[in-house]
Amino acid sequence: MSAGDPQGKSLVPRWTPYAFMAPVFFYLLFLDFIPLLNELYLSFTSTSLLTPANHIWVGLDNYRELFRNADFLHSIWITAIYTIACVVFAIGIGLIAALLLDAPFRGRAVARVLVTLPWAAPPVAVALIFTWIYNAQYGVFNYVQKLMGFDAFENWLDTPNRALIAILIATIWQIFPFSSVVILAALQGVPRELRESAAIDGAGPWAIFKAVVWPTILPTVMILALFVTIWSLRRFDLIWLLTQGGPIGATNTLVIDLYRRAFVYRDLGAGASVGMIGLSIALAVTMVHYRLSRRFGAAGA
Amino acid sequence: MTALPTPLRISAVVLLLALAGFPFYWMFVTSLTPSSDLFASTPNFLPKWGEAGVYREAFEKIPVATWLLNSLIVAGGTTFLSLAIALFPAYALSRFKFTGKGVIGLSLFATQMLPEAMLVVPLYALFGQLKILNTLTALILANTAFTVPVVVWILKGAIDGVPEEIEEAARIDGCSQAGLVWCIVLPLIAPTLAAAAVIAFFHGWNEYVFAQTLVSSESLRTASVGLAGFVGELSTPIHTVMSIAMIYTVPAIIFYLFVQKYVVSGMTAGGVKG
Repeated sequence: MSAGDPQGKSLVPRWTPYAFMAPVFFYLLFLDFIPLLNELYLSFTSTSLLTPANHIWVGLDNYRELFRNADFLHSIWITAIYTIACVVFAIGIGLIAALLLDAPFRGRAVARVLVTLPWAAPPVAVALIFTWIYNAQYGVFNYVQKLMGFDAFENWLDTPNRALIAILIATIWQIFPFSSVVILAALQGVPRELRESAAIDGAGPWAIFKAVVWPTILPTVMILALFVTIWSLRRFDLIWLLTQGGPIGATNTLVIDLYRRAFVYRDLGAGASVGMIGLSIALAVTMVHYRLSRRFGAAGA
Repeated sequence: MTALPTPLRISAVVLLLALAGFPFYWMFVTSLTPSSDLFASTPNFLPKWGEAGVYREAFEKIPVATWLLNSLIVAGGTTFLSLAIALFPAYALSRFKFTGKGVIGLSLFATQMLPEAMLVVPLYALFGQLKILNTLTALILANTAFTVPVVVWILKGAIDGVPEEIEEAARIDGCSQAGLVWCIVLPLIAPTLAAAAVIAFFHGWNEYVFAQTLVSSESLRTASVGLAGFVGELSTPIHTVMSIAMIYTVPAIIFYLFVQKYVVSGMTAGGVKG
């Protein structure tokens, strides 16, 4: 009997749920929504970080300028590449790791814990160690490249067409463990009997994966994909510390662009506009995801 | 993956562990390599235990202890506040039907889309008015805005799993609704509560953007900001920087090792299953 059921109504006063929701309501209001509205307002103004109280209403000017700016349009493209690569590789590697760690072997419990460690590492420490690993002259990454016979003496973080890959390696290293933990949990829900009877019927591992394992974990993978997408769209610390969006804008994602405009060029209005555009993209992606997961939910699992 | 031959499977696991562990190992080895050897053409792949004094030096030369204490206060405060704020709303979302429930649930999810870099400006203005800029309280409040939705969601998942019959008996005995959450539900979801606590703690411990922008006093620097100050700076030897990075990373890792069992089960019980 739920407290909201007709039978339970007499036991719980109508205001109880609202009283229970109060703390989170006030929190959302003051620390998320009022700031968000403030940000929306700023995006229609010309406001300097140096005199944040002086707003000059400029309407859609900030947005118009952004969409005429090739560097900004390029940053949308970079954000897309960064996000898609994070989703594909973090979940792909996470899935392989989860499948490996799902099968029984000695020391499995320890291996499961060790694989998840990067997830617990502070991003600033991750940025520092990867900066050192990528160092042009003394970095171990460079050393391995030389051993493999490639031209060395190049810092990937300083090379426009490699910086994004270098950042992706660091990001994916840090987030794939989360995917593997979540997928590993979903794998516990795969019915053992189904797997075994498929094996007895002569189905190969790939056939079993496609017919039994994948449909079971698909809903989890879909939610995971949404989370990794949203986290990648708003990722700041690792990218800022590794490249600050450089070299020549090669890693300038929307959030880096936002921060750069607001805090380096001190243009709060333009920064807020970038933020609103980024938020719109996140909302659009979420809606597409919602449609997709409903379709998959009906047809698939 | 049981289908793969055992040697191949074991090598794959070993490779996986090496990839996950190498940056940690490298941080450690670098911290123990004297500056003169860091710039050799062949990297030094083994730790030089005789150089362990660099850890003591880091504490003597650099205010690492203050940074860690600040991080601990911020992470602890964020954890406590997040759990305190989230418990009753999580219960309400799990057990009650009420007008506006959908909107609040959706709003909680939507906060996950807001980049910290975007909220920093309005929060700066808000905290300025409240006269709490440049305090650790500001950081705790700002971090909690990010952790509360996650914690609510995880706790709701756990409360969904608690059979309502258990509550009925207590209700009949005259226990109040709030008392019920506190005395009956809370102990039953303790493992998940631990998981949520860890997630909130890590967020507070690792956070960088707010700590960098909302606080300016050197004495209130967190470890993430203190360490970030070494990025691209040449005057501090790299092995000192890596030793501080180790000192900052190890407590998080140890803490995680103790509680990872709950984190994993908490996430499974919680929102991730949808």
